[in-house]
Amino acid sequence: MRADETGRRRRRRPAAVLPYLLLSPALVLLGGMIYPFALGLYYSLTNYWLQYPDRFRVVWFENYFELLEEPLFLRALEFTLGFTVVAVVVQVGLGLAVALFLHGRIPGRGVIRALMLLPLMIPPVITALMWKIMMASTNAGILNHMLSFLGVEPINWFGSTQGAVVSVLIIDTWGNLPFVALILLGGLQALPSEPYEAARVDGAGAAAILRYVTLPLLTPFIVLVVTFRAMDSLRIFDVIYATTAGGPNDATTNLHIMAYQYAFQWYQMGRGMTQAVVLLLLVVTVSYLLLRLWNRAAERMAP
Amino acid sequence: MTPGAAAFRRHARNVAVLLGAAALLAWTVFPFFWILLTSLKSPADILSVPPKFVFAPTIENYAALVFGEQRGQYSSTRPDFPLFFLNSMIISVGAVALSITVGIPAAYALARFSFPLKNLLAFLFLSFRFVPFIVFVIPLYLIYQRVGLYNTHAGLIFAYQLISLPFTIWMLRSFFMEVPLEIQEAAKIDGCSWLGVLTRVILPLSMPGIAVTVILGFMFCWNAFNYPLMLAGRQTFPVTVGAIQFISYEQVLWGQMAAATTVAALPQLLLSLLVQKYIVRGLTMGAVR
Repeated sequence: MRADETGRRRRRRPAAVLPYLLLSPALVLLGGMIYPFALGLYYSLTNYWLQYPDRFRVVWFENYFELLEEPLFLRALEFTLGFTVVAVVVQVGLGLAVALFLHGRIPGRGVIRALMLLPLMIPPVITALMWKIMMASTNAGILNHMLSFLGVEPINWFGSTQGAVVSVLIIDTWGNLPFVALILLGGLQALPSEPYEAARVDGAGAAAILRYVTLPLLTPFIVLVVTFRAMDSLRIFDVIYATTAGGPNDATTNLHIMAYQYAFQWYQMGRGMTQAVVLLLLVVTVSYLLLRLWNRAAERMAP
Repeated sequence: MTPGAAAFRRHARNVAVLLGAAALLAWTVFPFFWILLTSLKSPADILSVPPKFVFAPTIENYAALVFGEQRGQYSSTRPDFPLFFLNSMIISVGAVALSITVGIPAAYALARFSFPLKNLLAFLFLSFRFVPFIVFVIPLYLIYQRVGLYNTHAGLIFAYQLISLPFTIWMLRSFFMEVPLEIQEAAKIDGCSWLGVLTRVILPLSMPGIAVTVILGFMFCWNAFNYPLMLAGRQTFPVTVGAIQFISYEQVLWGQMAAATTVAALPQLLLSLLVQKYIVRGLTMGAVR
């Protein structure tokens, strides 16, 4: 009996270890990232300042408490959250409209769809530079020139606090609207046709069908794009760095930019890392909430 | 309703649809068009008010990218764009090669074996996709300075694994899972080991998927900006970091920047034509087919 059991175990063993062996190179590579991560967590508890290495000491949670007293941190937190909410609402709202539009019989739909992929695949920092050229603040800027036909005075895009926020939002939307629109379009095309037929038999109008048939069926896709967009908006960096660098007057400084400034402009690695950890906690919290939402949506969709 | 009114409404609807399609097209394409125009303008044409649509095109900006020595710019401070382009190639190709090599067995394990911790590990890989880069880049910068990986291709290729490896594993896994289980079982009955199943069944049948993963992974690495911004130096900057070098405190070299953005975006535009159908899938790590 015993011999038989050990024999079976010996036979099963290679198969049980194999998946871990197959995964091990990947685990070593990404595991190699765990060390820097842990080191970073440790630095967030220190006053590590690159210029003054001899003053290095562990200060425990002092950095974290100091953050709460710093007005700029609270403004950056507010901007991070506010920007995320506005960007997600604007992009998912517009994206849904575009998806519904393209779902209809539109001349040149294939061409539009193919071209909409292009903003998605170029580097976000390049997107930012393209718009920076178009958003030149004088009338030499093509955007201001076009708006002048509508009677709009030249806008100081990146130079004013409101203008800078709006500019970043426009640029981010140009780069990511296709992502939302194409996923929701794919979702629309995958929807079953029976509920629509039933609704039509019941005499539902277009608005009622959208509200009571399309949107509920589309919910898993909407939650998915909201999750992706929210995660990326919380940590948006490239576009802001290349256009406003957080200015003017810190109007577009989010937690990510602020962490960068601490670490790479003032070389306060400890404070920068504290800032980074706070941002990470925010991202983890929001993603947890969104994943729960997704699970619930998926459960409701399951037959 | 009279027939005339119905025809008018249909007509109005058609016009509205056409206008909508035109607006969408313009919003999407105009920036590319404008940057291409700007890259072909002389400095005087760029600053003209109102902006010019018709002008004498010049390749001066592109020539400046390649040959340098632009007015008032010294070669020591001039962005070396051909080098940046080469760096982008080296780092992206290297990062993808490493990710694919390591990712194939990992994706195979996650797609075709069941074992404890499987979902946890899969989720762990995925979670790297959402971590703000600054969390890694601060400690990596400090470590790289110490061990001499700062401003090296190898250091960047390692850092880029944060971008390409989670993506590669999840994409390949989604493609591997599409290979019918029956074929795999048939191969096993014919005496194939796990290695045989991988090399004779899964890999050949997923070749298109692997190609898509390689191309998209390359594109995501090409797009990377923030890791090289902190971990690369003048000798290893990729095009994304190179393109912002045309902005300095004194001036913005608009024309050269437009040319640089065009050159930086061009490989992406060409490659995205190849993988059109898979871009959405790639951007969602295989979640949306």
